[in-house]
Formats: sequence, C-alpha cells, structure tokens
Amino acid sequence: MSDWTKVPGHISTKEEHGETTVVVERAHVRDACAYARDELGFNVLIDVVATDYLGWDRKGVSGYIGTASGRDLNTPMTQGLQALPDAKPARFSMSYHLLALQQGAPRVRLQCWLEDGDPIDSVIPVWPAADWLEREQYDLMGIRFHGHPNLERLLMEDDWEGHPLRKDYPIGGEPVRFSPAE
Amino acid sequence: MSTTRSHVGRARRWPIVGDPIYEGSRIPRRVPTVLDVPPALHETDDIMQVNFGPNHPSTHGVLRLIVDLDGEQVVGLSAVIGYLHTGFEKSMEQKTWWKAITYPERIDYLGYQNNELVFVLAIEKMLGIEVPEKATWMRMLLCELNRIQSHLVYLGTSALELGAISMFWYTYRERETILDLSELVAGQRMHTRYFQAGGLAEDIPSGFFPEARKFVEIMPRALDEYLTILDRNQIWLERTQGVGLLSADDAIALGQSGPVLRASGVDWDLRRDQPYLAYDQVDFRVPVYTGGDVYDRYRVRMDEMAESVKIVRQCLDRLERMEGEPWIADDRKVVLPPREELHTSMESLIHHFKIVTEGYRVPAGEVYVAIESPRGESGCYVVSDGGPRPWRVHFRAPSFAALQATATCSGGALIADLIAVVGSLDAVMGDVDR
Amino acid sequence: MADDPTRLRDYGLQSERLLWPTKGPSKFEEELGVEELEQALGITTLAKAVRWAQTKSMWPDTFGLACCAIEMMSMVGSRYDLARFGMEAFRSSPRQADLLIVSGRVAHKMAAPLRQIYDQMLEPKWVIAMGACASSGGMFNNYAILQGVDRIVPVDIYVPFCPPRPEALMEGIIRLHEAHMAGVPPAYDRKQVAT
Repeated sequence: MSDWTKVPGHISTKEEHGETTVVVERAHVRDACAYARDELGFNVLIDVVATDYLGWDRKGVSGYIGTASGRDLNTPMTQGLQALPDAKPARFSMSYHLLALQQGAPRVRLQCWLEDGDPIDSVIPVWPAADWLEREQYDLMGIRFHGHPNLERLLMEDDWEGHPLRKDYPIGGEPVRFSPAE
Repeated sequence: MSTTRSHVGRARRWPIVGDPIYEGSRIPRRVPTVLDVPPALHETDDIMQVNFGPNHPSTHGVLRLIVDLDGEQVVGLSAVIGYLHTGFEKSMEQKTWWKAITYPERIDYLGYQNNELVFVLAIEKMLGIEVPEKATWMRMLLCELNRIQSHLVYLGTSALELGAISMFWYTYRERETILDLSELVAGQRMHTRYFQAGGLAEDIPSGFFPEARKFVEIMPRALDEYLTILDRNQIWLERTQGVGLLSADDAIALGQSGPVLRASGVDWDLRRDQPYLAYDQVDFRVPVYTGGDVYDRYRVRMDEMAESVKIVRQCLDRLERMEGEPWIADDRKVVLPPREELHTSMESLIHHFKIVTEGYRVPAGEVYVAIESPRGESGCYVVSDGGPRPWRVHFRAPSFAALQATATCSGGALIADLIAVVGSLDAVMGDVDR
Repeated sequence: MADDPTRLRDYGLQSERLLWPTKGPSKFEEELGVEELEQALGITTLAKAVRWAQTKSMWPDTFGLACCAIEMMSMVGSRYDLARFGMEAFRSSPRQADLLIVSGRVAHKMAAPLRQIYDQMLEPKWVIAMGACASSGGMFNNYAILQGVDRIVPVDIYVPFCPPRPEALMEGIIRLHEAHMAGVPPAYDRKQVAT
C-alpha cells in the first residue's frame, strides 16, 4: 500500500468500503496529483467530481434526527436511526479519482475542500484528460479552475445563468397536472 | 495490405513495450480537446469552417463538431456537446434510491444494463448486503448480452456510415434476438430495470434458458458472417487501417478505457483486473491489439463479442443448476418481503410500507464503483447522507473520455476519416451529456 | 375542404357532366354509390391520389436523439421492416424529408436546432413525438429537458412508452397514414400553437 502521508499537502487518509480517500490541501492539489502519478504510479485520471454539501448537517435534510448517543426511545423523533452525519469542512469537495494500471487495480480518491469562490488549480498539466472533466464541474457546480485554457460552459448553453447541480439551484421542470381540476 | 498487423491473446501483459505507433505525443498543446488550425494557415483563405451540426446522419446522436478544413483535410476540430444534457444527476437526487435506479439506464442507452448495474453495485457496496449467487450470475449474463448488443449496434452503424450499408441489417437481426431475450426475462426490450438493490427484481422465467441456448448457438455463426462480409473487404480495410491513430501513452493520458485503450496496446480490462460480479470464475480472453487505429478498435469489439458469447455460455451452465434458489437478498430493511408474508406477519407489513413510501436508507458515506461497460470504464460515485435519497450521484462516462480523444485521433485526417474515427470511438451522446 | 377540387370539371376536364351539368347521379351510381364506384373502378379524385402517394412514401428525417432513436433504428431493421411502408429512406437533409420523428429527450439546448430543422422542412410535413420524453418530458421533469416537444413544433401523433416498441411506433405511423388518407390536415393547419 502506498504511503499517503508523503503526498504534498496531505491532511488525512481514510479507508472505507475498501476505498482510500486522501484529503489534501486545496493549494497543493496539482502537486499531489503529480506526485500520485509519478511516484505512486496512478497514471489514469478517471474522474473529477465536485460535491455540494450545502445543507448537509441541517435538520430535516435526510429526514431524521438523532442524538449523539444514537437511539433514544423516549424521544419520538429518534425512532430507528443512526448517528447524525458528520459536519463537513467546507461547502464543496473536489474528488479526483485515480487508477493505477497495475496488478490489483489500486484506486485512490484525492479530495480537497473549498468554499464557494475559492480558486483551485487545474490538473491539465498532469493529465490532459482533465480538460472536459473540469469544464463540466465548472458548468454544473460553478468551481473555477485556475490555469484551465478553455473554461467555458460545456453541457449547458453558453448564456445559461446559474450552476444547476448546486443545492440552492431548483430542480426546475414544471408542476404536473394530474386532473383537469387543478 | 491483406493481413492484420496484430494478434489476439498476447502472452505478455502490462506494461506493453514496443514500437510506438507515432513518436511523442499528439495531444494538442493549447487545449487537449481542440485541434487548432496551424498559424501558417491562418492568414490564407483556404480554410473552410464546416459545422457538423447536432443533427447529422451518422447515427451517434447529437454531437456537434466544428471542423476547419483545408481542402479535404481536417486542420482544426472542436466538439460541442450538451445537446442531450438531461440533468440525470440532479433528478436522481430528488428520488428515493429505489426510484433512482430507473434513471441510470437511460444514460448510456446502448449499454443500459451496465449503467444500471454500476448504480446498483454502488448502493449494495454502501449497504453492505450480500447478493445471492443466482442474482450475480444472472446479472453477469445480462451484462454480457448487453455488451454483445451494444457492439452489434456499433458495428451496424459504424459500417453504415462508412458505406457498408447492408451490415446494419445483419447486425440488427441478431440484436433483435438479444432484445427478445431481454423481453423474456424482464418484460421490456430496452431499459429493463431488472436489477434491484440486493439482487434481481423477479425470478428468472422458466423459458429463458432454452432460448438463451439457441442464441448462443447462432451467435458465433453470425460473427463469422460479419467477418466474412467486412474483414477482407478492400474498401473497409483501406478506410479503417492507419486511420485515427492513438498511441498507448496518449490513450492513458487522455483517460481512455475499454476497447479504445485495448486497441492502442494497453492490456487492461476491469473484468479481469478488478473483477466484479463473478468474472473471476469464468474463463475468457481479453483481446488486445497494438495498431491503435480504427481497424484495431473494430477487431477488439468483434473479438469481445466472441468472448462474451463464451461467458454467456458459462453463465447458462451455472444458472441452469440454480433453479429454485433465491434471486434477491433476504435483508428486509432493503428488500420487499414476499407478498404471501404480508398476510400473516405484522413486521413484514411495516417493512413493506416503510420501503415503499419512504424508501430504504443507505448509510452515510461515499463510494465509487467501476465496471467494464461496452464503452470502457463506467463508474458511479455516490454520496449518501444516510437518508432515503442520494445526496450526490455522479456517473463517470466512458464516452465522455472517448470524445476528448477526437482531436488527438483526427490530426491530419481527411473528412471521410473523421467519420470513421468518431464512429470507432463509439461515443453514446446520452453517456457524454448525462 | 369545400374549395378542394373534387370533380373533373374543377380541373377543366371534359365529361358528360360538363356537357349536362344538371344531370345528377346515374342509376348505376345511385345503386352503387359514388364512393364505392370510385373504389371499384379505381377512379379517385386528384387530392386523394396525391394523399395516397404522400402516404406511401413519407420520408422521415434523421432526428434520432436518444434511446428512442435506437428503437427507431430497430424498426428499420429487417424484423420490423419499415421499408414496406416506403419509409426506409431516412433523409439527412430536412429539405427532402416529410416526417420528423422526434425520438428522444429534447434538451433546451437542442430545442433551437429542432425548430430550425422543422422550419427547413417543406410543406406538407408531419411530426411524430416518439416516446414519453418527446411527448411530455417523460421522467425528466427538470431544468434541462423541454417538457414536451409540442411546445415548439405542432405534433400530429404522440407515441407513448419509454422507449416505444418498434410496433408501437409503427402503429403511430400507420395512424398518421390513415389520418392523412382520410383528409385530416397536418398539425400546423390544425393546431393553434407553435406553428
């Protein structure tokens, strides 16, 4: 197994469901990716995913409330629950999924956290595959990549306003009339 | 030019070393996905910009290519996508886990079974439930049938675009047989929605195995027929060999996977190297070719079809011995109880009610699952907050990565070759735009 | 419909009716009826003949968008043969096409090219909204998908299901043919929206 503490900007490593998630500092993302590719052999960039955690630890998000110790039969709303989801360090997480073309297919998720408006370096110099992947995340989540040669909207129209996949962007669509009475 | 330049089933595995197809890297410098017109040609009047608009006859869906031509030669290329952007990821956040399984199928609408599988595998990974063997083998069988079906569509449409029009009808004849099998099992030809978190939605109907056996007998003969029609056809060889070159290093740098990667000489297949379902218990070969051109991608897919037939045969052998076994897991928090129990057991009734109305809850966490779809590595990144609905779902689309390689593959190609290249990358626009 | 030329006289052609305008139907025609006579003898009005010809070679435009396009291609295959209706010639150029089968979900970005293709088609032209997504937005009630293609083009036939079987689409096409043979005008003449 790779020694993740040597990655530039390393903050923490987590193993869950058989997957390794390495959290790095936002400023060192490009160096961390280059390190992973050159030193540790993760030569394929599989995916670049941004996740918006707005409203993550607000009540009612997931439909349950729990106490820190778990289930409390005396509090009606806590029936059949697990613990509250842990608070996230920032609003957005950027995950870089990497794959090494080696025996056993080692994979890793390099993750960094950023707030709305924080700049993050583009990893195109490390893998050219990041071109459209980052453009898509800019288009749908509004994360600006510093150093991207062509940061334009990719999937939405060029003059679209807003970033659809954010949690404060409505689902859109329209109400459906199920009967003439409505 | 009568023999191929590569062979199947090489004994040597990764890393592949050998003569590179071209020297260095051909990935465009400025923007990796845009082929820029050379500065020398900028000033002249010789450049014509042609718009291969979103509605064009090569049946790859709504892809828009803005092509700069110097005569017949492509000197500039950029792709505009998004004409089929459906907002899958946001739609799935609004639905419960159960209902959200209906959506991924429509993303890659040719490899629909694989998209469904990857999402269901992600849910099961987070839930930590164990799927019974029968369901695993049946899923594998259906996914391999889907692979054959997808490659048949690729072959038919790709040949159609290059002018070998009659291939379309030959491949669709076999495709109808596969769709009949899907209909027999799941009730619908495409977008079957047959996989459930925990197994299959229903038991395998009894008439399925004889029909599948019949298909397995006719398919190798059909494959021979296709090879006879295309593989020694001089026009086909001239239009596909040496066209759309992509070296192994460039393919890896561009995040390619699947047949495009294997045609460039990289021996990588997730079914063998990171086995999911029961792929480590079946015997199949992985075709690898080193030419990196359109012809090799075609040969990889043809060989993959033959290997898929072998896998289907082995799955049938195994499944026929599993009559009467459970097809879905027993975990009542996730899986609906059988209807007979609802009449007698109060807990079953409550479980049924909770699962149907609120939906089962998936523990908080994030997971990434990848499988080998007909187009390459198809992955699903799911973040759950512990509730009945997904928090974030993202699909890693192999066609998205494949289209990024268009500019690299098309350097110096003629416009007719561009059609061949885009066809060989086998990009499904639903997968690209999601 | 009253202005449609129906009799040979309207085309300036000679017949006994022209020489004797007030004649009325003969005993033979009275017994047989004008319609059956026409059918039995193969006589028809020009309009009906033209409609028959249009029905028998209504060329679709290659407008496959998503999954429904695959089922539309299946219909062209040899099992659900579309060539028996004279429609296997999918024209890439909308100038040469009669029928626009919108097969698949229409994103807002694609709505403008769709309308442009529809405008480029020459009259008479028909539109079939194939599948749930083209008819009403389907399962995608969100920011990205046009909720029904009849918002931007007038639609003649809606074919439901996701995706419709090739036989379902064929039924839609056959109904369109029957409607046209019976004299129902195309949607742009009937509907008040999106014309």
